Amino acid sequence: MTDYEMTSCLSAVADQLLKEVQKTYQEKTQIPDDLLIALRFVFGSCALQALDLIDKRSVTCVSSFSGRRAYQVMGGSGLLYTCYTSCHYCPCPAFTYTVLRRNDSLLCKHILAAYLSQAMGLSQQETVSDQQMSSILSGRAAATDT
Amino acid sequence: MADILTLVFKNYINQSGKPKDINIITPSKCSTLVVGENVINRSLLLLAAVTAASELGLKVSFFTQVQIQSLPGSLQDDMSNLSPENLKKIKFAYPNSLEDLLQDVASLHEPVSGSAAPPSLIVVDGLERFLRVPGLSGALQQAELASAAHIAALLFDTAAFLTASLEERAAELSPCRVIASFQSEGEGHAGGDPSASEPILSVLDRYFQVRCTLDRDLLSAPGARPQDSWHVYLSGAGIKEASLTKGEEDPNLPKEWHMLLQKNGSMEFTPV
Repeated sequence: MTDYEMTSCLSAVADQLLKEVQKTYQEKTQIPDDLLIALRFVFGSCALQALDLIDKRSVTCVSSFSGRRAYQVMGGSGLLYTCYTSCHYCPCPAFTYTVLRRNDSLLCKHILAAYLSQAMGLSQQETVSDQQMSSILSGRAAATDT
Repeated sequence: MADILTLVFKNYINQSGKPKDINIITPSKCSTLVVGENVINRSLLLLAAVTAASELGLKVSFFTQVQIQSLPGSLQDDMSNLSPENLKKIKFAYPNSLEDLLQDVASLHEPVSGSAAPPSLIVVDGLERFLRVPGLSGALQQAELASAAHIAALLFDTAAFLTASLEERAAELSPCRVIASFQSEGEGHAGGDPSASEPILSVLDRYFQVRCTLDRDLLSAPGARPQDSWHVYLSGAGIKEASLTKGEEDPNLPKEWHMLLQKNGSMEFTPV
Protein backbone atom coordinates (compact mmCIF):
# COMPACT_ATOMS: atom_id res chain seq x y z
CA MET A 1 0.00 0.00 0.00
CA THR A 2 1.39 3.44 -0.93
CA ASP A 3 1.54 6.39 1.51
CA TYR A 4 -1.34 8.02 -0.34
CA GLU A 5 -3.51 4.90 -0.13
CA MET A 6 -2.60 4.44 3.54
CA THR A 7 -3.50 8.04 4.38
CA SER A 8 -6.78 7.86 2.41
CA CYS A 9 -7.64 4.58 4.11
CA LEU A 10 -6.89 5.93 7.60
CA SER A 11 -8.85 9.13 6.92
CA ALA A 12 -11.83 7.08 5.72
CA VAL A 13 -11.68 4.94 8.89
CA ALA A 14 -11.41 8.07 11.05
CA ASP A 15 -14.39 9.71 9.26
CA GLN A 16 -16.49 6.57 9.70
CA LEU A 17 -15.57 6.37 13.36
CA LEU A 18 -16.56 10.02 13.99
CA LYS A 19 -19.91 9.40 12.27
CA GLU A 20 -20.43 6.36 14.50
CA VAL A 21 -19.62 8.45 17.59
CA GLN A 22 -22.15 11.08 16.49
CA LYS A 23 -24.91 8.51 15.83
CA THR A 24 -24.33 6.65 19.08
CA TYR A 25 -24.03 9.78 21.19
CA GLN A 26 -27.30 11.13 19.80
CA GLU A 27 -29.03 7.88 20.73
CA LYS A 28 -27.44 7.16 24.12
CA THR A 29 -25.85 10.50 25.22
CA GLN A 30 -22.67 8.59 26.00
CA ILE A 31 -19.83 6.90 24.17
CA PRO A 32 -19.77 3.14 24.84
CA ASP A 33 -16.51 1.36 25.71
CA ASP A 34 -16.10 -0.28 22.31
CA LEU A 35 -16.13 3.13 20.58
CA LEU A 36 -13.72 4.56 23.16
CA ILE A 37 -11.36 1.67 22.43
CA ALA A 38 -11.74 2.31 18.69
CA LEU A 39 -10.97 6.03 19.19
CA ARG A 40 -7.87 5.11 21.21
CA PHE A 41 -6.82 2.62 18.53
CA VAL A 42 -7.20 5.05 15.59
CA PHE A 43 -6.06 8.31 17.22
CA GLY A 44 -3.68 7.04 19.90
CA SER A 45 -3.09 9.15 23.01
CA CYS A 46 -4.81 12.13 21.32
CA ALA A 47 -8.19 10.46 21.90
CA LEU A 48 -8.19 10.70 25.72
CA GLN A 49 -6.61 14.17 25.66
CA ALA A 50 -9.32 15.34 23.23
CA LEU A 51 -12.09 13.90 25.40
CA ASP A 52 -10.55 15.69 28.38
CA LEU A 53 -10.72 18.99 26.44
CA ILE A 54 -14.39 18.29 25.66
CA ASP A 55 -15.13 17.58 29.34
CA LYS A 56 -13.68 21.01 30.11
CA ARG A 57 -15.89 22.59 27.40
CA SER A 58 -12.76 23.91 25.70
CA VAL A 59 -14.16 23.93 22.14
CA THR A 60 -16.04 26.91 20.69
CA CYS A 61 -17.56 26.92 17.23
CA VAL A 62 -17.23 30.50 15.99
CA SER A 63 -19.42 31.67 13.12
CA SER A 64 -19.90 34.98 11.31
CA PHE A 65 -22.72 36.58 9.30
CA SER A 66 -21.28 35.31 6.01
CA GLY A 67 -21.79 31.75 7.28
CA ARG A 68 -18.05 31.09 7.67
CA ARG A 69 -17.21 28.88 10.65
CA ALA A 70 -14.07 27.89 12.53
CA TYR A 71 -13.27 26.05 15.75
CA GLN A 72 -11.37 27.60 18.61
CA VAL A 73 -9.92 25.21 21.16
CA MET A 74 -8.52 26.34 24.50
CA GLY A 75 -5.38 24.26 25.09
CA GLY A 76 -4.20 23.03 28.46
CA SER A 77 -1.72 25.91 28.57
CA GLY A 78 -4.51 28.46 28.21
CA LEU A 79 -3.61 29.31 24.59
CA LEU A 80 -6.42 29.46 22.04
CA TYR A 81 -5.92 27.44 18.82
CA THR A 82 -7.98 28.09 15.68
CA CYS A 83 -8.77 24.99 13.60
CA TYR A 84 -10.55 25.00 10.24
CA THR A 85 -13.73 23.08 9.48
CA SER A 86 -12.81 21.55 6.12
CA CYS A 87 -9.21 20.36 6.53
CA HIS A 88 -6.73 19.32 9.19
CA TYR A 89 -4.80 22.32 10.50
CA CYS A 90 -3.88 23.52 13.97
CA PRO A 91 -1.23 26.10 14.92
CA CYS A 92 -0.14 24.05 17.98
CA PRO A 93 3.47 22.75 18.17
CA ALA A 94 2.30 19.11 18.33
CA PHE A 95 0.58 19.40 14.96
CA THR A 96 3.70 20.88 13.36
CA TYR A 97 6.00 18.27 14.89
CA THR A 98 4.05 15.00 14.89
CA VAL A 99 1.78 15.56 11.88
CA LEU A 100 3.67 17.85 9.49
CA ARG A 101 7.27 17.02 10.29
CA ARG A 102 7.33 13.41 11.48
CA ASN A 103 4.09 12.20 9.85
CA ASP A 104 3.41 10.14 12.98
CA SER A 105 -0.23 11.18 13.50
CA LEU A 106 -3.31 12.07 11.47
CA LEU A 107 -4.12 15.06 13.67
CA CYS A 108 -3.55 16.67 17.08
CA LYS A 109 -5.78 16.62 20.19
CA HIS A 110 -7.23 20.06 19.40
CA ILE A 111 -8.48 19.06 15.94
CA LEU A 112 -9.87 15.79 17.32
CA ALA A 113 -11.56 17.65 20.20
CA ALA A 114 -13.15 20.02 17.65
CA TYR A 115 -14.48 17.12 15.54
CA LEU A 116 -15.69 15.08 18.53
CA SER A 117 -17.37 18.02 20.23
CA GLN A 118 -19.17 18.81 16.99
CA ALA A 119 -20.25 15.16 16.65
CA MET A 120 -21.44 15.13 20.28
CA GLY A 121 -23.04 18.58 20.15
CA LEU A 122 -20.88 19.75 23.05
CA SER A 123 -19.12 22.75 21.55
CA GLN A 124 -19.92 26.26 22.69
CA GLN A 125 -21.24 28.69 20.08
CA GLU A 126 -20.12 32.25 19.43
CA THR A 127 -21.08 34.71 16.68
CA VAL A 128 -18.61 37.34 15.49
CA SER A 129 -18.56 39.97 12.73
CA ASP A 130 -17.15 39.05 9.30
CA GLN A 131 -14.09 41.23 9.96
CA GLN A 132 -13.48 39.51 13.30
CA MET A 133 -13.79 36.13 11.56
CA SER A 134 -11.17 37.22 9.00
CA SER A 135 -8.77 38.11 11.82
CA ILE A 136 -9.43 34.79 13.56
CA LEU A 137 -8.84 32.78 10.37
CA SER A 138 -5.63 34.66 9.57
CA GLY A 139 -4.30 34.09 13.08
CA ARG A 140 -4.23 37.81 13.92
CA ALA A 141 -6.82 37.55 16.66
CA ALA A 142 -8.72 35.15 18.88
CA ALA A 143 -12.51 35.58 19.11
CA THR A 144 -12.42 36.85 22.66
CA ASP A 145 -9.62 39.32 21.84
CA THR A 146 -11.55 41.14 19.11
CA MET B 1 -8.52 17.20 -11.97
CA ALA B 2 -6.99 20.57 -12.87
CA ASP B 3 -9.71 21.91 -15.16
CA ILE B 4 -8.46 25.46 -15.76
CA LEU B 5 -4.85 24.47 -16.39
CA THR B 6 -5.99 21.72 -18.75
CA LEU B 7 -8.06 24.35 -20.59
CA VAL B 8 -4.95 26.55 -20.86
CA PHE B 9 -2.94 23.64 -22.31
CA LYS B 10 -5.75 22.94 -24.77
CA ASN B 11 -6.11 26.62 -25.82
CA TYR B 12 -2.40 27.03 -26.47
CA ILE B 13 -1.90 23.65 -28.07
CA ASN B 14 0.74 23.25 -30.76
CA GLN B 15 -1.27 23.31 -34.00
CA SER B 16 1.41 21.63 -36.07
CA GLY B 17 1.49 18.48 -33.98
CA LYS B 18 -1.10 15.76 -33.80
CA PRO B 19 -3.21 16.89 -30.85
CA LYS B 20 -5.36 14.33 -29.12
CA ASP B 21 -9.08 15.09 -28.95
CA ILE B 22 -9.78 16.89 -25.69
CA ASN B 23 -13.51 17.14 -25.38
CA ILE B 24 -14.96 17.28 -21.90
CA ILE B 25 -13.18 19.19 -19.14
CA THR B 26 -15.31 18.79 -16.01
CA PRO B 27 -15.23 21.64 -13.45
CA SER B 28 -13.00 20.49 -10.64
CA LYS B 29 -12.77 21.42 -6.95
CA CYS B 30 -9.16 20.26 -6.83
CA SER B 31 -6.62 22.87 -5.84
CA THR B 32 -3.42 22.82 -7.84
CA LEU B 33 0.19 23.61 -6.93
CA VAL B 34 2.39 24.58 -9.87
CA VAL B 35 6.01 23.65 -9.11
CA GLY B 36 8.69 25.02 -11.40
CA GLU B 37 10.83 28.10 -12.04
CA ASN B 38 9.11 31.26 -10.88
CA VAL B 39 9.14 33.09 -14.24
CA ILE B 40 7.45 30.18 -16.03
CA ASN B 41 5.10 29.57 -13.07
CA ARG B 42 4.02 33.19 -13.17
CA SER B 43 3.29 33.15 -16.92
CA LEU B 44 1.23 29.97 -16.52
CA LEU B 45 -0.73 31.48 -13.62
CA LEU B 46 -1.47 34.64 -15.63
CA LEU B 47 -2.66 32.50 -18.56
CA ALA B 48 -4.89 30.54 -16.15
CA ALA B 49 -6.35 33.74 -14.66
CA VAL B 50 -7.09 35.30 -18.07
CA THR B 51 -8.52 32.04 -19.42
CA ALA B 52 -10.81 31.66 -16.38
CA ALA B 53 -12.02 35.28 -16.68
CA SER B 54 -12.34 35.57 -20.45
CA GLU B 55 -13.45 32.09 -21.44
CA LEU B 56 -15.36 30.89 -18.38
CA GLY B 57 -16.52 34.31 -17.10
CA LEU B 58 -15.16 33.59 -13.62
CA LYS B 59 -14.10 36.15 -11.01
CA VAL B 60 -10.44 35.75 -10.12
CA SER B 61 -8.45 36.96 -7.10
CA PHE B 62 -4.76 37.06 -8.01
CA PHE B 63 -2.20 37.49 -5.20
CA THR B 64 1.43 38.22 -5.96
CA GLN B 65 4.33 40.05 -4.33
CA VAL B 66 5.79 41.16 -7.65
CA GLN B 67 4.13 43.89 -9.72
CA ILE B 68 2.91 42.70 -13.12
CA GLN B 69 5.18 44.53 -15.60
CA SER B 70 4.25 42.67 -18.79
CA LEU B 71 1.94 39.97 -20.00
CA PRO B 72 3.17 36.58 -21.24
CA GLY B 73 3.79 36.41 -25.00
CA SER B 74 0.79 34.11 -25.50
CA LEU B 75 -1.49 36.84 -24.14
CA GLN B 76 0.13 39.71 -26.06
CA ASP B 77 -0.86 37.93 -29.30
CA ASP B 78 -4.44 37.53 -28.07
CA MET B 79 -5.01 40.95 -26.49
CA SER B 80 -7.25 42.17 -29.30
CA ASN B 81 -9.58 39.21 -28.70
CA LEU B 82 -9.91 39.82 -24.98
CA SER B 83 -12.80 41.88 -23.70
CA PRO B 84 -11.90 44.58 -21.13
CA GLU B 85 -15.07 43.68 -19.23
CA ASN B 86 -13.87 40.13 -18.81
CA LEU B 87 -10.37 41.24 -17.79
CA LYS B 88 -11.95 43.38 -15.05
CA LYS B 89 -13.04 40.13 -13.45
CA ILE B 90 -9.42 39.66 -12.36
CA LYS B 91 -8.57 41.51 -9.17
CA PHE B 92 -4.87 41.80 -8.39
CA ALA B 93 -3.60 42.20 -4.84
CA TYR B 94 0.00 42.71 -3.74
CA PRO B 95 0.46 41.51 -0.15
CA ASN B 96 3.92 42.35 1.20
CA SER B 97 4.23 39.53 3.69
CA LEU B 98 2.79 36.19 4.69
CA GLU B 99 0.71 37.94 7.37
CA ASP B 100 -0.80 40.26 4.74
CA LEU B 101 -1.49 37.33 2.41
CA LEU B 102 -3.20 35.39 5.24
CA GLN B 103 -5.35 38.43 6.04
CA ASP B 104 -6.27 39.00 2.37
CA VAL B 105 -7.25 35.34 1.83
CA ALA B 106 -9.08 35.18 5.16
CA SER B 107 -11.15 38.25 4.09
CA LEU B 108 -12.44 36.65 0.87
CA HIS B 109 -15.57 35.39 2.65
CA GLU B 110 -16.66 38.93 3.60
CA PRO B 111 -18.46 39.86 0.31
CA VAL B 112 -20.67 36.77 0.78
CA SER B 113 -22.71 38.74 3.35
CA GLY B 114 -23.39 41.38 0.67
CA SER B 115 -24.53 41.16 -2.93
CA ALA B 116 -21.16 40.70 -4.62
CA ALA B 117 -20.30 37.21 -5.84
CA PRO B 118 -17.10 35.76 -4.38
CA PRO B 119 -14.23 34.68 -6.66
CA SER B 120 -14.32 31.31 -8.41
CA LEU B 121 -10.56 31.18 -8.74
CA ILE B 122 -7.92 32.17 -6.17
CA VAL B 123 -4.39 32.44 -7.58
CA VAL B 124 -1.27 32.84 -5.44
CA ASP B 125 1.94 33.51 -7.34
CA GLY B 126 5.26 32.56 -5.71
CA LEU B 127 4.39 30.99 -2.36
CA GLU B 128 8.13 30.58 -1.76
CA ARG B 129 8.53 34.37 -1.46
CA PHE B 130 6.01 34.41 1.38
CA LEU B 131 7.30 31.30 3.13
CA ARG B 132 11.03 30.96 2.78
CA VAL B 133 13.48 32.73 5.04
CA PRO B 134 17.08 32.05 3.91
CA GLY B 135 19.58 30.48 6.29
CA LEU B 136 17.09 28.96 8.72
CA SER B 137 17.72 25.82 10.72
CA GLY B 138 16.13 23.71 13.45
CA ALA B 139 13.18 25.29 15.24
CA LEU B 140 12.86 28.12 12.72
CA GLN B 141 12.57 25.59 9.88
CA GLN B 142 9.69 24.08 11.84
CA ALA B 143 8.06 27.53 11.89
CA GLU B 144 8.31 27.59 8.09
CA LEU B 145 6.44 24.27 7.93
CA ALA B 146 3.73 25.65 10.22
CA SER B 147 3.42 28.77 8.01
CA ALA B 148 3.19 26.64 4.86
CA ALA B 149 0.44 24.52 6.44
CA HIS B 150 -1.39 27.67 7.63
CA ILE B 151 -1.64 29.38 4.24
CA ALA B 152 -2.33 26.13 2.36
CA ALA B 153 -5.06 25.09 4.83
CA LEU B 154 -6.59 28.57 4.78
CA LEU B 155 -6.71 28.51 0.96
CA PHE B 156 -8.33 25.04 1.07
CA ASP B 157 -10.89 26.06 3.72
CA THR B 158 -11.68 29.34 1.92
CA ALA B 159 -12.23 27.54 -1.39
CA ALA B 160 -14.51 24.98 0.32
CA PHE B 161 -16.59 27.78 1.90
CA LEU B 162 -16.79 29.85 -1.31
CA THR B 163 -17.75 26.73 -3.32
CA ALA B 164 -20.74 26.17 -1.03
CA SER B 165 -21.63 29.86 -1.28
CA LEU B 166 -21.37 29.86 -5.11
CA GLU B 167 -23.51 26.71 -5.33
CA GLU B 168 -26.27 28.57 -3.45
CA ARG B 169 -26.18 31.81 -5.42
CA ALA B 170 -24.74 31.01 -8.88
CA ALA B 171 -24.12 27.32 -9.46
CA GLU B 172 -22.63 27.98 -12.91
CA LEU B 173 -19.78 29.90 -11.25
CA SER B 174 -18.92 27.08 -8.82
CA PRO B 175 -16.69 25.50 -7.66
CA CYS B 176 -14.06 27.86 -6.29
CA ARG B 177 -10.58 26.58 -7.21
CA VAL B 178 -7.12 27.46 -5.97
CA ILE B 179 -3.99 27.58 -8.11
CA ALA B 180 -0.73 28.50 -6.40
CA SER B 181 2.88 28.33 -7.54
CA PHE B 182 6.04 27.37 -5.71
CA GLN B 183 9.67 27.33 -6.79
CA SER B 184 11.49 24.54 -5.00
CA GLU B 185 15.04 25.16 -3.78
CA GLY B 186 16.29 22.37 -6.02
CA GLU B 187 14.77 23.98 -9.12
CA GLY B 188 17.05 23.79 -12.08
CA HIS B 189 18.51 20.45 -11.06
CA ALA B 190 17.36 17.59 -13.22
CA GLY B 191 15.51 14.56 -11.92
CA GLY B 192 14.18 13.44 -8.57
CA ASP B 193 11.17 14.47 -6.54
CA PRO B 194 11.82 17.92 -4.97
CA SER B 195 9.46 17.17 -2.05
CA ALA B 196 11.79 14.35 -0.97
CA SER B 197 14.41 16.94 0.02
CA GLU B 198 12.21 19.97 0.67
CA PRO B 199 9.88 19.59 3.67
CA ILE B 200 7.83 22.71 2.78
CA LEU B 201 6.81 21.11 -0.50
CA SER B 202 5.67 17.91 1.19
CA VAL B 203 3.56 20.01 3.59
CA LEU B 204 1.98 21.90 0.65
CA ASP B 205 1.25 18.55 -1.05
CA ARG B 206 -0.99 17.65 1.93
CA TYR B 207 -3.41 20.42 1.01
CA PHE B 208 -3.12 20.71 -2.79
CA GLN B 209 -4.76 17.69 -4.42
CA VAL B 210 -3.02 18.19 -7.77
CA ARG B 211 0.59 19.08 -8.48
CA CYS B 212 1.58 20.47 -11.89
CA THR B 213 5.33 19.99 -12.19
CA LEU B 214 7.37 21.86 -14.79
CA ASP B 215 10.77 20.33 -15.43
CA ARG B 216 13.31 21.38 -18.03
CA ASP B 217 13.13 18.88 -20.86
CA LEU B 218 16.72 17.84 -21.27
CA LEU B 219 15.79 15.80 -24.35
CA SER B 220 14.43 18.94 -25.96
CA ALA B 221 12.66 19.16 -29.26
CA PRO B 222 14.84 19.46 -32.36
CA GLY B 223 15.96 23.05 -32.84
CA ALA B 224 14.81 24.18 -29.39
CA ARG B 225 17.19 25.53 -26.76
CA PRO B 226 17.10 23.39 -23.59
CA GLN B 227 15.92 26.36 -21.51
CA ASP B 228 12.88 26.74 -23.76
CA SER B 229 11.69 23.16 -23.64
CA TRP B 230 9.69 21.92 -20.66
CA HIS B 231 8.07 18.71 -19.49
CA VAL B 232 4.75 19.43 -17.76
CA TYR B 233 2.98 16.71 -15.79
CA LEU B 234 0.00 16.51 -13.48
CA SER B 235 0.10 14.25 -10.44
CA GLY B 236 -1.34 13.90 -6.92
CA ALA B 237 -4.37 12.58 -5.09
CA GLY B 238 -6.79 14.62 -7.24
CA ILE B 239 -5.49 12.94 -10.40
CA LYS B 240 -5.70 9.45 -8.87
CA GLU B 241 -9.24 10.05 -7.61
CA ALA B 242 -10.33 11.46 -10.99
CA SER B 243 -9.04 8.36 -12.74
CA LEU B 244 -10.94 6.11 -10.29
CA THR B 245 -14.21 8.07 -10.52
CA LYS B 246 -16.59 7.20 -13.32
CA GLY B 247 -17.61 10.79 -14.02
CA GLU B 248 -18.32 12.67 -17.18
CA GLU B 249 -14.73 13.73 -17.61
CA ASP B 250 -12.94 12.61 -20.71
CA PRO B 251 -10.83 9.66 -19.54
CA ASN B 252 -8.32 10.49 -22.28
CA LEU B 253 -7.41 13.89 -20.82
CA PRO B 254 -3.63 13.97 -21.03
CA LYS B 255 -1.66 14.17 -17.77
CA GLU B 256 1.67 14.94 -19.47
CA TRP B 257 2.50 17.73 -21.87
CA HIS B 258 5.51 19.12 -23.58
CA MET B 259 5.77 22.91 -23.45
CA LEU B 260 7.84 24.95 -25.87
CA LEU B 261 8.64 28.54 -25.01
CA GLN B 262 8.76 30.61 -28.19
CA LYS B 263 11.15 33.54 -28.76
CA ASN B 264 8.32 36.04 -28.12
CA GLY B 265 7.61 34.34 -24.78
CA SER B 266 4.45 32.55 -25.90
CA MET B 267 3.88 28.99 -24.75
CA GLU B 268 2.90 26.05 -26.93
CA PHE B 269 1.71 22.78 -25.44
CA THR B 270 1.75 19.33 -26.99
CA PRO B 271 0.17 16.35 -25.20
CA VAL B 272 2.62 13.52 -24.55
